[in-house]
Amino acid sequence: MTREVEKTFIGGLHEELVEDKVIDESQLEPDFPDQIRKYGGKDVMTCLQCGNCTGVCPISLKIDYKTRNIIKCCQFGLKKYTLGTRWVCATCYRCYEHCPADLNPAEVMIALRHIAVREGIIPPFIKNTAASLVKYGQSVKPDAEIDKIRQEIGLGKIRAEDPEYASVIREIGVLIHATKYDKLIGIHEEVKQ
Amino acid sequence: MNQYTYFFGCVIPNRYPGVEYAVRWVCGKEGFNLDVTDQPDFSCCPVPGIFYSTDKDTWLLLAARNLTLAQNERREILTVCNGCLASLLKATEYLQEPKNLGKVNRVLAQIGKKYTGIAKKQAEGKRKIIEPVKVRHYVEVMSNDVGIEEIAKKVKRPLKNVNVAVHYGCHYLRPTEHATFDDPNNPVLIDRIVEACGAKSVDYEDKLDCCGAGGGVRSHVIELANALTADKCTNISAVKADCIVTGCPFCLLQFDNAQKSFTKEGIPVMHISQLQALAMGVKPESMGFDTHQVPVHSLLRKLRGS
Repeated sequence: MTREVEKTFIGGLHEELVEDKVIDESQLEPDFPDQIRKYGGKDVMTCLQCGNCTGVCPISLKIDYKTRNIIKCCQFGLKKYTLGTRWVCATCYRCYEHCPADLNPAEVMIALRHIAVREGIIPPFIKNTAASLVKYGQSVKPDAEIDKIRQEIGLGKIRAEDPEYASVIREIGVLIHATKYDKLIGIHEEVKQ
Repeated sequence: MNQYTYFFGCVIPNRYPGVEYAVRWVCGKEGFNLDVTDQPDFSCCPVPGIFYSTDKDTWLLLAARNLTLAQNERREILTVCNGCLASLLKATEYLQEPKNLGKVNRVLAQIGKKYTGIAKKQAEGKRKIIEPVKVRHYVEVMSNDVGIEEIAKKVKRPLKNVNVAVHYGCHYLRPTEHATFDDPNNPVLIDRIVEACGAKSVDYEDKLDCCGAGGGVRSHVIELANALTADKCTNISAVKADCIVTGCPFCLLQFDNAQKSFTKEGIPVMHISQLQALAMGVKPESMGFDTHQVPVHSLLRKLRGS
């Protein structure tokens, strides 16, 4: 893994900790563990810092992202040090299988993502996929070439093209609008009502 | 006999139609003749890396909408993808909580739907039992409902001399509280199907490792996802496997697309249903291998030779 990629996607954690050295109370958010619980993570205070999660994490082996460090930052309420690191978790749940405290770090990462989007940190891929869902009812964009091959091997056309499928897309729009997800992610213009 | 309804998800119909063809053929009249229908109004499951990751309320609503469609027909959902399995299975568990169920049904009412689960008949005087809608994986249905012996019986062209590297994929196995049909630390079902087709399943280092694509990593940091795939492919090349077989179309997509970033001659990748269909005598031309990025010619040549 190149240093370049690390800098672009998870930059912040390592460098900033070295630069700042001293972390004073003003940087701490004591209610951070509560915020994580609100979005479905378990209590990060139960973490023993044993490091099992990091040892089995396929991402931790590759880049300067260490699951245990992130959980430590969560315990202290160092919210800003977890910024930018939360989208690299592959949600493979290996950490969960090996966690003696039954914390489920993967779910903590998912809670961190919930917090991130509510603070306006929304990677483009989230927006694009959600937009594709409200437009086609599918998270993968239909492709004309593939549609041709489908017909060659005797499969029907892709449903998204079918006029009858419009009612499904309308239903999805209603549901996404009901939870205000469209506003949250910034796709309200795409949602058909 | 169990009744199913197909749930192909997004990747298969829009990127790998050959998998859809193979699954339909294997489950259809010429194959195991299962009682399985199409539900045209299914949408995306929705994809856990996006919706479960960013807003659980929205994720649960969209999943519940799909579940109600199967519930109304009293059919089990037959998924062909680990992501769909994880997303829908987790949703059925969330919906067992009365609080979540009430919240979901209040919104579903806006589109005229209601999730109730499936009522099971009980002896008189006893309380009615409500079971969640069943969500099954193709591999599980093949192994447990059809049976490995039956699979072996229907093989017309045993895939002799073919070495297969099986990749299970994370959400087939983990978290363990959800997936119960196979041993998460030592899964065997896909290997058994491969062996029933006459091929040899070769063991390799770090077999249970992630392909790298999940959780939005592929979409967000493709270099990172590809680096994980490169590690897996190094281990797979080391045991001289002729092809990679997986039960998940997203892992298939990742292996298929990532290989060109680090090697010229890739290892062919296919879904377990495609391997089965080949062994059951389906012509390779009708299986849409053209949509695969890594050509499968080397494997097909070997098959013709055997």
